[in-house]
Amino acid sequence: MSRSTSGTRRVTLVLVALLLSALLVFPTQSQGLLRHIGVPLAPIVTLPIEALAALDRSLRDVWEGYVALHGVHEENLRLRREVELLRDQNSRLREATSASQRLTALLEFKGRAASKTIAAQVIGRDATNWYRAVMVNKGEGDGVRVEMGVITPAGVVGRVVKTSASASMVLLVTDPNNAITGLIQRTRDEGIVEGTARGLARMKYIPLLSTVRAGDRVITSGLTGGFPRGLPIGVITSIDKTEGDLFQSGEIVPDTDLTRLEEVLIITAPRGEAESDADALSAQPPQQRKP
Amino acid sequence: MKQALYLLLVFGLVPIQTTVLTYAGLGGVRPDLCLVAAILVGFFAGELDGLLLGLVLGFVQDLFSAGELGLNLVAKGSAGFLAGMAGRYVTNTTPITVLTTVFGLSLLSGTVFLLTVGAGGLAGVSFAIWSVLLPQALWDATLGGAGYWLVARYIRREQAILEGPTGWDR
Repeated sequence: MSRSTSGTRRVTLVLVALLLSALLVFPTQSQGLLRHIGVPLAPIVTLPIEALAALDRSLRDVWEGYVALHGVHEENLRLRREVELLRDQNSRLREATSASQRLTALLEFKGRAASKTIAAQVIGRDATNWYRAVMVNKGEGDGVRVEMGVITPAGVVGRVVKTSASASMVLLVTDPNNAITGLIQRTRDEGIVEGTARGLARMKYIPLLSTVRAGDRVITSGLTGGFPRGLPIGVITSIDKTEGDLFQSGEIVPDTDLTRLEEVLIITAPRGEAESDADALSAQPPQQRKP
Repeated sequence: MKQALYLLLVFGLVPIQTTVLTYAGLGGVRPDLCLVAAILVGFFAGELDGLLLGLVLGFVQDLFSAGELGLNLVAKGSAGFLAGMAGRYVTNTTPITVLTTVFGLSLLSGTVFLLTVGAGGLAGVSFAIWSVLLPQALWDATLGGAGYWLVARYIRREQAILEGPTGWDR
């Protein structure tokens, strides 16, 4: 009996050793194999994750709705005074901005509104400490694919790097493994926006002759897939210009607060594809169009 | 009983790690529950159980991490196996032994991650060592030592109940 147990043990160890060797020798093929094995497993594990995320949300609602309301009266009075001041400012600014609003709205519509997006809820964080990533409750079943861009109304969040049937992993713009093409809004210089170890982002490959300075806004350039042109990424806070280097770089503070993400939008079709869809729809005879 | 516990670990640890544990992080760093579980199982149930459970836990963790598939699988499987070997050859295992082993294995697995994942240059690596690698190893070691102490105490109590009072006790 003990001999057979010892034999089984040895056979299992040899099989596992072979499996691990195969993983190291054939990394690409093993990725495909592991992905296949993970297909039925991921939705099962997603269920308790969603349940815990729902519990977490309701507990947070209770906390924010009742327990954390201490001192709200004083804050309310202060905010009322601020509102009075802001109302006055607002009426003056409204007139001045109305003209530019019409024009920018027109331009922004062309640049941004044509993207097709789906809303998703953040249900968890990365299972390790080594990546800045979040898990969202939309997956392949909802049309989410790897490399799709993820945004909030405030700006860029990151891009989808892994999908299962009902959930996806989104690598945040502050992760060093993430890179998206950016454009400095004022100078129109392009560069690559990468995450840094300290949880910020850095725009690399800014031309040496660029007049970029702290306070400049960085937006998506739309050159790579996933994001249309013109989505806010963040603000440059410092410039790194070393003598002898061919390029300069700038540290960016992202516009989106990536530590408090709750709902995000996944761009399923950036502007180009959405436009072509719209063109296809307009090319259809009127009776075939969906209401 | 053992299988039920393993299933609970496989389907319960990663959900806890990705949701509830985000609040337990110190400076954004959380303990790696899957690593600690694989090592403890290795110590208590032997290298084969540690290896197999580590492989499965690592794989599930891979599914819910932004990295390549297989990295956690290998890291957790190896940690479970090495812990099992340590448990076999160390004559008197104590919570301190386990704490030290978990600390060492966590550092080892973290170093593999650091080399594989990349942390944005030399400055990034130095920052990652101080802000992720060491705090996580300390977290894991504390949790591992405490977990071993609790489980060992429970096992001793169960054994005492099964064996009944000995001659010395009478």
